[in-house]
Amino acid sequence: MSRAMAFLTRRKGGDAWDWTDVFTFIWLGSAVFIMFGPALWLVLSSFKSPAQLSEFPPTLLPYEAQTVAVEGYDRLLPLFSVSDDDGTRTLAEVRRVGTVAQMVDPANPAEVQRINIANRTPVREVGFSWGNYLDPFLRFDFLNYTKNSIFVTGVATLITLLTNSMAAFALSKYEFRGRGFVVVLIIATLMIPLSVILVPLYSIVAGVGLINSLWGVILPTVATPTGVFLLRQYMLTIPDELLEAARMDHASEWQIYWRIVLPLTAPALAVLAIFSVVWRWNDFLWPLIVLSRQEVYTLQVGLNAYAGELNVQWHYLLAMTVITMIPVVLVFIFLQRFITAGIAGTGLK
Amino acid sequence: MGRIQLHDIRKSFGAIDVLKGIDLTIDEGELVVFVGPSGCGKSTLLRMIAGLDKPTFGRIEIDGTDVTARSAADRGLAMVFQSYALYPHMTVRANMAFGLQNTNMPKAEIDTRIGEAARMLEIEPLLERRPGQLSGGQRQRVAIGRAIVRRPTAFLLDEPLSNLDAELRVSMRAELSALHDRLGATMIHVTHDQVEAMTMADRIVVLRAGKVEQVDTPLNLFNRPANLFVAGFIGAPGMNLWAGQAKGVSVQLDSGALLPLPLGVRVPDGPVTLGIRPQHLRPEVGGPIRAEVRLIEALGPESVVHADMGAGGGLLAVLPGQPDLGRGAVIELGYEPQFVHVFGSDGQRLA
Amino acid sequence: MTGVKGMLGAVVTAPLGWLARLLDAPLRLWQRVAGQGGMVAFFLLPNMAIFTIFVLLPLVINIAYSMTTGAALFLPDRTYVGMGQYERLLRCTDYTNLMTCQEDQFWIALRNTGTFVVLQVSLLIVAATITALILNRALRALSFWRAVFFFPVLLSPVVVGLIWRWILDRNGVLNAALVGVGMDPVNWLLERNYAFSAAIGVTIWAQLGFFALILLAGLQAIPRDLYEAAEMDGTKPARVFWRITLPLLMPNMLVVIVLALIRAVQVFDEAYVLTGGGPGTATLFLTQYIYEVGFASLLKNPGLAAAASILMGGVLIVLTLLQLALGKRNERKGKLK
Repeated sequence: MSRAMAFLTRRKGGDAWDWTDVFTFIWLGSAVFIMFGPALWLVLSSFKSPAQLSEFPPTLLPYEAQTVAVEGYDRLLPLFSVSDDDGTRTLAEVRRVGTVAQMVDPANPAEVQRINIANRTPVREVGFSWGNYLDPFLRFDFLNYTKNSIFVTGVATLITLLTNSMAAFALSKYEFRGRGFVVVLIIATLMIPLSVILVPLYSIVAGVGLINSLWGVILPTVATPTGVFLLRQYMLTIPDELLEAARMDHASEWQIYWRIVLPLTAPALAVLAIFSVVWRWNDFLWPLIVLSRQEVYTLQVGLNAYAGELNVQWHYLLAMTVITMIPVVLVFIFLQRFITAGIAGTGLK
Repeated sequence: MGRIQLHDIRKSFGAIDVLKGIDLTIDEGELVVFVGPSGCGKSTLLRMIAGLDKPTFGRIEIDGTDVTARSAADRGLAMVFQSYALYPHMTVRANMAFGLQNTNMPKAEIDTRIGEAARMLEIEPLLERRPGQLSGGQRQRVAIGRAIVRRPTAFLLDEPLSNLDAELRVSMRAELSALHDRLGATMIHVTHDQVEAMTMADRIVVLRAGKVEQVDTPLNLFNRPANLFVAGFIGAPGMNLWAGQAKGVSVQLDSGALLPLPLGVRVPDGPVTLGIRPQHLRPEVGGPIRAEVRLIEALGPESVVHADMGAGGGLLAVLPGQPDLGRGAVIELGYEPQFVHVFGSDGQRLA
Repeated sequence: MTGVKGMLGAVVTAPLGWLARLLDAPLRLWQRVAGQGGMVAFFLLPNMAIFTIFVLLPLVINIAYSMTTGAALFLPDRTYVGMGQYERLLRCTDYTNLMTCQEDQFWIALRNTGTFVVLQVSLLIVAATITALILNRALRALSFWRAVFFFPVLLSPVVVGLIWRWILDRNGVLNAALVGVGMDPVNWLLERNYAFSAAIGVTIWAQLGFFALILLAGLQAIPRDLYEAAEMDGTKPARVFWRITLPLLMPNMLVVIVLALIRAVQVFDEAYVLTGGGPGTATLFLTQYIYEVGFASLLKNPGLAAAASILMGGVLIVLTLLQLALGKRNERKGKLK
C-alpha cells in the first residue's frame, strides 16, 4: 500500500498540482472502493447471521450475540446491556412477554427483574457465523454442486488441452490438402457464441442422450476454436528443424508431438489451461439449459436456483457465492501476470 | 558401410526445378563437401539423402540398398543442422540420449556412448546443462555429439559452421577434419564457403542451379577447373577471365593484349575465354600484359592489385611483398604458360 | 515466475505424458500402415469430430430449425413452416407501437438490447480509455492498479450478479449509505429505469478491467520517443493526446469497440441473475428471450427461438467480420513497421 500511496502522491512534474493529477487521484481512489468494495462487502456479509442480515442500516463487521450460562437454567441465555433508572448493568434474558423481558443478573440468578425492552441492547462481539458455510454443505446439495463443478472444470480443461494441442500440431506442422480450409473454418467460428446455436445444440445433445449429464456440459465447450488458434500461433514459432532433428533421431510423429512440441508449447498451454479453468468454472447459460435435475447442478446453476427461490436465504447464498468465487480469486492472485499477458497479447476472454 | 549413390535425382517445387538430375557416388569413409552459391540446391540434395524431403524422380542407394522410399528415421544417417536444432527443453545428456532411447537401446549402452562422445568432444562438464546455457561453439559440439552417439552410416552436416564467428569457425573446421579421420565415417558437408570446402574435403561437389558442375579433389578443382563457373567460384580472389579470340598459338584479348598459349597446347581458332589466377601473375618488365593500377590492397605479406588493361578489361593480381605502386602507375605482368586456362565459347575447359 | 511456469507446465504435461506413453506403440504401427497422412488425420480427428458435431452441425441445422414449428425436439419430427417463424417475429400491425406486434416480447427485447448496447458500450469505452490512460501514467505499482481494475473480470457472471443484487437490495448497503447522507432509499432493482441502469453499471464493472488492459497494451506500445519529440517541439498535452496518442491507439481501440459490441449484443448472465429480466420486461434482453422461448417458458417454441437466434447471429457475424478485417489490417500495418 505504501507503494500505492507513493504513486498516488506522485505528480506529473513540477511543483504545482496539475488537474490531471487530481483526476488521477480521484479515479484511482474511487476505483479501489468501487472495484474491491463489493466483493469485500460480500465476504463480510457472508459471515453474518440471518437476523443481522435483515438489520437496516447494516453493520460493517459481523457480530454475534453474547450468551452466558446461568445457574438454574439449562440453555445459554442471551446477554443484554440494560440502562434504566437503576443505572447501567448487564443482564441475561430468561423470557420475553410482549414489550417486557424477564431478566436475571448472572451473578444473582435467583432474582428475576422485569425490564422494558426499549431500555436494553444486545451485547455483541465480532463473531463469524460459520454455519452459513457449513450448513449448505451438510444440509443441502452444495457439496454435490461443488463436486460437479470441479469435475466439469477439470475434465473439460484436460480434454481441451489434449484435443486442441493435437489439432494445432497438425495444423501448424504438416502440409496437407485442405489445411487452409480447416484453418479458415476455425477462425470463422472463433466468435460464434453459444447463444446463437442454443436450440439446435440442445437437440443434438439430447440426440446423443447427454441431457442432465455433465458430459453434455463438457463436450460442446472443449473444441474451442480459440484454443486451437492460440496454440497454433505458438507452435508456428517452433522451428521445423527441431522436428526434422527428431525424425532423424528415430522419433515417431506421435513422439515428436509429445516429447518435442508439447513441452515447448508449455507457456501457451498454461495460458489456455488457466482460461479454460476460469471459463468452465464460470459457465452458466449452457449448464442452465442442459442440467435440469438438482443432483447434476454445477455451482453456478445451483446458486442461481437458490437465489431464485421465493424466500431467499441470503445468509447461505452469500456464503456459497464466496465459495464459488474462491478458486477464481486464487487463480487471479497467483497467475495474474500470466492472465494479463495472455489477454494483452491475444485478446482472449 | 557408408557408400551412398545418387541416380538421376530430380526435385521440383511446383514449376520450379530445384535439382535437375544428379548422379553421384560417395565412397565409404569419404568426406565430401557440397559447395555452391545459395539457391544451387545443395541443401535440398542433402535433405533428400537424409530422407527429410522426397525426390520427384530418381533413386538413392545406401550400401547398395534402395532407400528412396524409406523415412528419415530408417536410413541410419545422422544430421547436424545449421541451427543445431538442439531440443531446448532437454539437457545436453537428454539431447544425446533421445535418438538412442527411440531405438530401445539399453540404458547402460546409452550411457557408455554418451560418455565416449562427451570425452571425445570435451563437453563432459556440460552434460547436465540446457542448450540455452551454452555458447555457440558448445552448442555446435553438442549437435555433433548427438550425431556421433548414433554411430550412423554417414554424417550429414548442413552448413554447421555458418553460425560461428570467424575465429571459432577456423578451429572447428580443423576439429571436424580430425574427427573425420578418427571416426573414418562417411561425411557429407554442405557449405557455401569455398575455403571450408577446400580445407576439409576429400572431394568437392560443385553445384550450380540444380546441376553438378564438377566433382574432384580440392587441388584438381583449383588446378584444372572443368568450366568457367568452377574456375570463377574456386579460389580467392577469383580467377581473371578475359574474353578473346584464339589464333594459332596465342589469344588476342578483346582488351588488346596478345597472350601466348602454353607450349604444346592447341585450341581451335575462334572465341575463347582465357583464365589466369591472380596469384599466377608476376611483375615482368616487357611482359605481355600492361595495365594501369586503380587500387592497391596491401595485406602485408602480399598485395592485391586492381588494374585496368584498357577497353574494359579489369585485372587482379596478387603480388608478393609490398610493391611501390601508386594509383595510375603502369605495370607490366607476365606468367608461366602452364598456369593458363582456356575455355571454349560453351564455357567448358579446352586446355 | 519461472518456477510457477515450470510447475504449471509439469502439471499440464504430466498426465498427458502418461497417456502418451500408453499410446506410443499402437501409434507407431498406425504410422507405418497409414503414413504421415494417417497421423495428420489422427491428430485432427478428436478435435474436429467434437467441433463438427457441437459447433458446425448446430450452426447448419439452426437454419433448418428456424423454418419449423411444433414442440418436437428433433428436426425430422418437426413441421415445416417456411418463413413462418420469421414472419411471426417481425410482424406488427403498427410499427410505432410495439404492443401491436405479434411477438411483442421479441420487440421489447430487441429495443432493450439496442438501448443497452449503445449506452453500455459507449460508457464502457470511455471508462476503459480513461483507466488505460491513467494506468499508462503509472510507473510504480502498476501491477497493483491493474489488479484493482482487472479483478472482477474473472468472476463468474452469477457471482457478479449476486454481489450486486445484495448491494442494491432494498435493505442493502447502498440504500444505507443514501439514508446515511439524508436521502431517500431507492428500490434499485424494482424500478424500471434504475434496474436498467443497474444492468449497465454492473456489466461495466465486470468488463472494465478487460478492455482497459487491451487499451493499456496499445498505449504501452506507442514509442516513448514520439512523446519526447512532441515535448521538444513544445506540443500542448491536449494536442499530444489528439494527434499522437489517439491515432496510434486506434487499432486497439477499434478491436475493443467491436469486442465490446459483440459481448453487449449477447448480454445475459449478469443481467439475468441481477434482475431476471424485470421488473416486468424492463431488462429483458435478446439472449434471455431466446432462452425463455426455447427452453424455459411453458409455451416452448424452439423454432421461434432458433429464428430469433439467427437474426441475432446475423448481427454478430457482421461484427465478427468487422473484427477480423480490422485484425488483418492491424497485422499488415504491423508488418510494414
